[in-house]
Amino acid sequence: MTPFRLRILTPEGVKFDGDAEMITVRTTVGDKGILARHEPYVAALGIGQAKVRINGEAKIAAVSSGSIEVGKECTTLLAQSFEWADEIDLKRAERAQQLAEENIQRYKNDERKLDIAEYKLKRAINRINVASLKK
Amino acid sequence: MASGNMKDIKRRVKSVESTMQITKAMELVASSKLRKAKQKAEDARPFFEAQYELMCKIAGETEGFSTVFTRRREIKNRLFIVVAGDRGMAGGYNTNILKLVQQAHENDKVKPKIIAIGKKAVEYYKKHGYDVVAEYPGLAENIKTADAADISMLAIDMFTRGEVDEIQIFYTQFISALTQTATQMGIVPVNPPVGTAVPVSKAGTTYDPSPEAVFNRVIPKLVASIVMCAVIESYASEQGARRTAMENATDNAEEMIGTLSLLYNRARQEKITNELNEIVSGANAL
Repeated sequence: MTPFRLRILTPEGVKFDGDAEMITVRTTVGDKGILARHEPYVAALGIGQAKVRINGEAKIAAVSSGSIEVGKECTTLLAQSFEWADEIDLKRAERAQQLAEENIQRYKNDERKLDIAEYKLKRAINRINVASLKK
Repeated sequence: MASGNMKDIKRRVKSVESTMQITKAMELVASSKLRKAKQKAEDARPFFEAQYELMCKIAGETEGFSTVFTRRREIKNRLFIVVAGDRGMAGGYNTNILKLVQQAHENDKVKPKIIAIGKKAVEYYKKHGYDVVAEYPGLAENIKTADAADISMLAIDMFTRGEVDEIQIFYTQFISALTQTATQMGIVPVNPPVGTAVPVSKAGTTYDPSPEAVFNRVIPKLVASIVMCAVIESYASEQGARRTAMENATDNAEEMIGTLSLLYNRARQEKITNELNEIVSGANAL
């Protein structure tokens, strides 16, 4: 397959910058696959998985909120966090899940804190799913 | 008389020496923190730049689209997010940023509302009777994405509710370990930067589901990353400024010790000469 330039950037640094053959991401309106010579495209991302194919090898990652932009020369994925499956600390994610579940019980009446806890729970579950997928 | 003078000098040398020890230690701490902070700032920059470009691109190339974030309205109330340090002893770091803020609203009738990040900013704006909407002391060293998201949510909320008509952020840009510049940056309403607003791909970028939807989703994230980057940069700047200031202080202390020991030796010699004189003239008298 024809490769295209893909950049994956997070506030912690550049996660990937090089040629990829395909990337699938979860946008706010559904999953979206991108191949080389895709039309210019912009979408916001939700919490979900990203599949990237590099040199014929598919890699999975956990993404939490960001955006994807397909330009003429380069496709850029901007994410608040982007972790490859093998980078995920499963124990930590499980702890986060537990904590978030407790917080949801605790902050039933505080809408803002509830939102945050729910967001964290979603993120933790996503991380756990991705981490278990690699096996 | 001479011996009293010597004691004084000795005491001063001692006090300068102990000051020098402190400044030296602070210099070392600052330079190790600087190294880490610099790395962090450099890591965050590509993300930040790409995101800013994207925002300008969406705002620039989609004509006739309007969201609450691009619409111009009369500016009555302004919100300033000010990033300063948690500690002093960093040369002009804190004063420079506070001065810039001061200049920015000199001609305003109403004082701006303030989100203060860093102890020094919190103290200053509370003391001078500003409306401090939120304060974040001690945040800078270890800022998390969630903290930045909090600040962004608060600011955006005030903006969409119409409590403020403009949001600006004041931070110190880290240029190098020796140079840091206090910087003012507008966040919302978004101005597509002049010149880049050429609708390049009128050819048609597809926005999924619509430009407005993407924009409205991206903006809070963007503000969060601006805040994050501003804090990271400022923190690196603070360490840089402190290191330079402490280096100078240490140098000055060394120089002072040099001058003082010269004085001390001179006083000592004078005293010996005097004693000799006394002995000789005493012996002569016999």
